[in-house]
Amino acid sequence: MAYVATRGGERAIEQAERLFREEIGPFDHSRVHEIKQSLPYLIDRVMGEASLYDEDLAALALAQTGGEMFEAVLLLRAWRTTQPRLTVAKPVEQKDLFTHRRISAAFKDIPGGQVLGPTLDYAHRILATDVLGGSAYAPEPVEAAEKPAPANVPSVSAWQAENDLVDLPDPDPTQGNEIPDLTREPLLFPAKRAHTLQSLARAETGGTLALGYSAMRGYGSAHPTVNEVRLSEAEIEVTHPDGRTFSAGRVKLSQAEVVDKKGEKLSLGFAATFGWNEVKCISAATLDLNSPGAAKGSATEEEFFLYHTEGVESSGFCIHFKLPHYVTFQSSLDAMRDAKAKKAAQSSSSATEPAE
Amino acid sequence: MSLTTLTKPWEAMSYGFLDGSAKRELRRKTLKSVAVPGCQMPYASREVPMARGWGTGGLQVSLTLVNPKTRVKVIDQGADDSVNAASIRRFIARVAGTPTTMDTLEADLIQSRHRIPEEILREDQILVLQVPNPEPLRPVQPNMSIARQMHADADYGRMWLQLYEQIVRSGRVMQGASYPSLVHGRHVMTPSPIPRWDVPKLNMSKHLTILSAGREKRIFAVPPYTRVEPLVFSDVPYKVEEHGHLTCYRSGTKGFFMNEIPQDDGTSTFEVSDSEWGVKAIRKGAGEPVTTGETWYKNGEMPE
Repeated sequence: MAYVATRGGERAIEQAERLFREEIGPFDHSRVHEIKQSLPYLIDRVMGEASLYDEDLAALALAQTGGEMFEAVLLLRAWRTTQPRLTVAKPVEQKDLFTHRRISAAFKDIPGGQVLGPTLDYAHRILATDVLGGSAYAPEPVEAAEKPAPANVPSVSAWQAENDLVDLPDPDPTQGNEIPDLTREPLLFPAKRAHTLQSLARAETGGTLALGYSAMRGYGSAHPTVNEVRLSEAEIEVTHPDGRTFSAGRVKLSQAEVVDKKGEKLSLGFAATFGWNEVKCISAATLDLNSPGAAKGSATEEEFFLYHTEGVESSGFCIHFKLPHYVTFQSSLDAMRDAKAKKAAQSSSSATEPAE
Repeated sequence: MSLTTLTKPWEAMSYGFLDGSAKRELRRKTLKSVAVPGCQMPYASREVPMARGWGTGGLQVSLTLVNPKTRVKVIDQGADDSVNAASIRRFIARVAGTPTTMDTLEADLIQSRHRIPEEILREDQILVLQVPNPEPLRPVQPNMSIARQMHADADYGRMWLQLYEQIVRSGRVMQGASYPSLVHGRHVMTPSPIPRWDVPKLNMSKHLTILSAGREKRIFAVPPYTRVEPLVFSDVPYKVEEHGHLTCYRSGTKGFFMNEIPQDDGTSTFEVSDSEWGVKAIRKGAGEPVTTGETWYKNGEMPE
């Protein structure tokens, strides 16, 4: 019964998982709450990549995986996909966004003004080592402006369109369940516009940055100018079966418009995602800007960047190489050895006297 | 009529994990793939509680096909006890309440990664193969949209060229596993990374084979009694791995696909890759009553 002894697979995987969980330790709702309160930008990133807006679930996923982000996103995606689609919210218009931060690199000032909002852009990145010595880290309180920034501002591209500098795409009249949903149908190419924007919205931040950065450095044909980058909150308006419209809550959104300045008019790249994640939006919008006419197989071609920034798929495939591959390996070895033997037989049969 | 009569009590998880709409979509696409043998059908491919690349395509098909009576067998590289096979088997049993088995003859549904069992499958059995890369044209055309067009045109010239180049360079076709094969005389498919040893088992087989790539979102099928022909030139015959003469050092069984086990002294020993077949051989040797099925290969040869 030599085989039975080797059947330790079930026990081995059980114990391996226990080892991982032991490192994280037991936790309860208080840890989930602490993660949610203290790491809002991490929560945002995970919610964006999971395409599921729920801070509690995102914090739970992070607690459960010990901060292994790919695992956390997969947990949320696998949960999300089983949930019914109850309704489709009304489209969110840029001018209706409750804007916290909105800056433009294209103009010194813009209609609605430059609103810095919350950012570390101008912070000196000095590690607060005092905290490790026992001091508390207490940020200076915010002093309110004399005149609050307007909550709702138009997009910069709206002004540019008025001035005939850019052609905005026609509004898409598709409504409700007719809107293509990437999570319910496969991505095919050339991709539907909705699929492209949905893919970018849930793309993995690091991958989007890597490919976007390659385009920015010069592997793309368009050099982006940030028309605007915006952090905001959007009202999720849904219609009750009795016909009344109500807000189901607000979600944090980030979006970026980037433009290219070649030709007679500006061309526009756009991306938006759940949560506040500026790096991802600027990178994704840059890829979008570069994609028309991009060469097949280049990093700025839609098929290339949409496939390769899909974090659940790319990370899963990467770690699958840890699985045993000895059957395929054996199959290749067989061909390799046979080819080698053939070559040896050929050279020995045709060999002349070896040189001294 | 009230809402309560129309709905059922809330449950944390649907039967078989996937919700109704996911299963419906997958069933439609599976039927399409059976209707057009070897043709890749795109499907939404939902996330499942397992990482992509770990059998999520096969798992979605299995979860869609099982009912509480379906007896499920899961193998990875031929072994039932491989860690990921154990994990998938445990998951299917957990969410669908299916009985499980390691015996090929007892299984109604076999989910497998990279092997087809050595015992001949019957008409009432379904084989679900996990597929990492569904596109046989990938080595000659990595762009999916162009490859799709090439399939539509049955434009397989570059496949043939690739095989020809291998023969010129190395004296033989160097393709290891995933040997490209023509299905029903029309579509070239990858049989998934099964060894060349297993490809003839698909030809005119009694069972239905469903191949599903979760990460790449493609499903295709070989219906029962369908031709599956490896791409070969008429003067260069198809060659399976030279395992027909090898003997398993543990079970003594001979003439089946083997795992090579390197030894300290620089040599190799071999154990049979289909682990349950090995177990049966050991039990038989110990005088236990064991039911074995007929095998595809006889004395290390595939009968014509």
